[in-house]
Amino acid sequence: MKGEELRKVLSAYIDKMPPLPTSIGKILEICQRPNAQPADLNKVISLDPVLLARVMKLINSAYYGLNQEVTSLVRAIIMLGLNTVKNLALSTAVLGTVNADRNKNAALNLEGFWLHSLCVGVTSKLIAKKRNIAVLDLENYFFCGLLHDIGKLPLNNRVPEIYLQALQHCAIDRTPLFRAEEKILEYTHCQAGALIISAWKLSDDILDVVAWHHDPAGYQGQYSDLVASVSIADYFANIMEIGFSGNRFPVKPAPEVFRSLGISWQEVEDLEQQVRQEIEKAKVFLRLA
Amino acid sequence: MNIRLWGVRGSIPCPGPQTAVFGGNTACMELSWGPEDSHVLVVDAGSGIRPLGNQWMRTRFPKGPIKTRLLFSHTHWDHIMGFPFFTPIFIPSTEIEIYGPVTFEEDSLDKVIGGQLQYRYFPVTMAELAAKITYHRLQETQLEFDLGLKVTTKYLNHPITCLGYRFEHEGKVIVTLFDHEPYRNLFITDPQNPDFDQEVFEEGERAAAEENQKILEFMRNADVVLHDAQYTEKEYRKNRTGWGHSSIEWAINAAHKAGVKTLVLMHHDPERLDSELQTFQENYQRLIQQKSAMKLVFAQEGMVF
Repeated sequence: MKGEELRKVLSAYIDKMPPLPTSIGKILEICQRPNAQPADLNKVISLDPVLLARVMKLINSAYYGLNQEVTSLVRAIIMLGLNTVKNLALSTAVLGTVNADRNKNAALNLEGFWLHSLCVGVTSKLIAKKRNIAVLDLENYFFCGLLHDIGKLPLNNRVPEIYLQALQHCAIDRTPLFRAEEKILEYTHCQAGALIISAWKLSDDILDVVAWHHDPAGYQGQYSDLVASVSIADYFANIMEIGFSGNRFPVKPAPEVFRSLGISWQEVEDLEQQVRQEIEKAKVFLRLA
Repeated sequence: MNIRLWGVRGSIPCPGPQTAVFGGNTACMELSWGPEDSHVLVVDAGSGIRPLGNQWMRTRFPKGPIKTRLLFSHTHWDHIMGFPFFTPIFIPSTEIEIYGPVTFEEDSLDKVIGGQLQYRYFPVTMAELAAKITYHRLQETQLEFDLGLKVTTKYLNHPITCLGYRFEHEGKVIVTLFDHEPYRNLFITDPQNPDFDQEVFEEGERAAAEENQKILEFMRNADVVLHDAQYTEKEYRKNRTGWGHSSIEWAINAAHKAGVKTLVLMHHDPERLDSELQTFQENYQRLIQQKSAMKLVFAQEGMVF
């Protein structure tokens, strides 16, 4: 199965995609507490790319018919109330436990995937912080980083056997994963990710990051800072081997990508300790440590 | 366009000699418009809808079949409990269009409202109702009813999805905010707390302020606003925060800022006696006398605006 045929199969899978098993236990625990705290709910949802995307999708869907787009989870919780967001998280988590055994033959380890996504989210945000981006925009850098590889989940969960071939090809040919995907599947995780972001009607900046994070130099759109930051953060996560998302042979973004942000590789490397601290905090929260 | 209040109480009906002046029925408002009040709709079917239905059977039904709309602010029990006792639903010629919001992933509107009509709770089931009833799930939207009555809806802050209504007809504006608590920052606001997060705090402050401003705009320059005021500010701050209701002080300040002409406070707490409400009315009217041109009224059953 490849190309257009694969796209159709993934499309059908996307709407019932479960959250990551790493956060399911914590979601259930928080939501079942009678005195669940908004801060905890915000944290647990923010740490799971699928759950975050689903909550944001619902809030901006025709279901609520809101006049303006809501782009922050904090605002969503304040507007819709704790109960609504809690119910949504809970129903998504239950879906995840029902589907959990489907991942037995998965090509990617989901805990490794989650750690990689989190690392890219945290690093993108810290790069933006270093560049003195406004505090209120930092969260968007985190979201984009967290969601950048979301296209790998339907590939990993829905067609694990053929995705494994792509991963093996990446290792044998010593080629970046997205190139191996192009060759074996004629369809990349960037395309699959864009499919999800479009289907869930999330904003264009996230769409562009998901679609272009492996080609930041070729990107011509208006969100080049976001695309460049996530691309560099992705490379950082791979080089530092924080988590694992299947890409053993990452390509370093071109010098002009660093120049466009006015940041050097050395400065990014210097963020390592801060990145590791942030990830440790998240792990402690989810009790993975 | 005129309104008559049939129920002004919150939470549960509380009949008795000590609540007889302001009334013990839960939320129900009749809105009529057109020549000789030819058209009518109802907001919320609290226990006040029972006497309303009886009056319609005496005054409207002899002139022809009852055709009306029933708009729900939300589906908490005190706002739907009167529905099975609304006599026109048992008359075959009645036509009712029901509008209201439902909370995410709950049953559909007909099941939530009509769910009361099953044998374990009530001797008549939904299927046995003679009237023609249709249901419409509402979001934030604008509608136009007969004779150019404009209706705008707005999400409010309550533990379940809840709508406010803004009615506009021939230059008169009436707004209902039956169950509403001011938006507030739900996140950690104490910088000393080890889990304090500056970004989340700032976004929370901004979101709450902007959402409160939207409610204020929704009330802007209305002739009459019916506002939840279940508690005093002291009660609210002590242990009623997060229950989904406003304080008297909040409602007065917000309505004054929005340029409201008459503010009608309602959803009175069931524990509140006539004597207390009477004292509140005198005290709060005196407090704002020199500061605001707004007329302040504590809602009583039977009041007309």
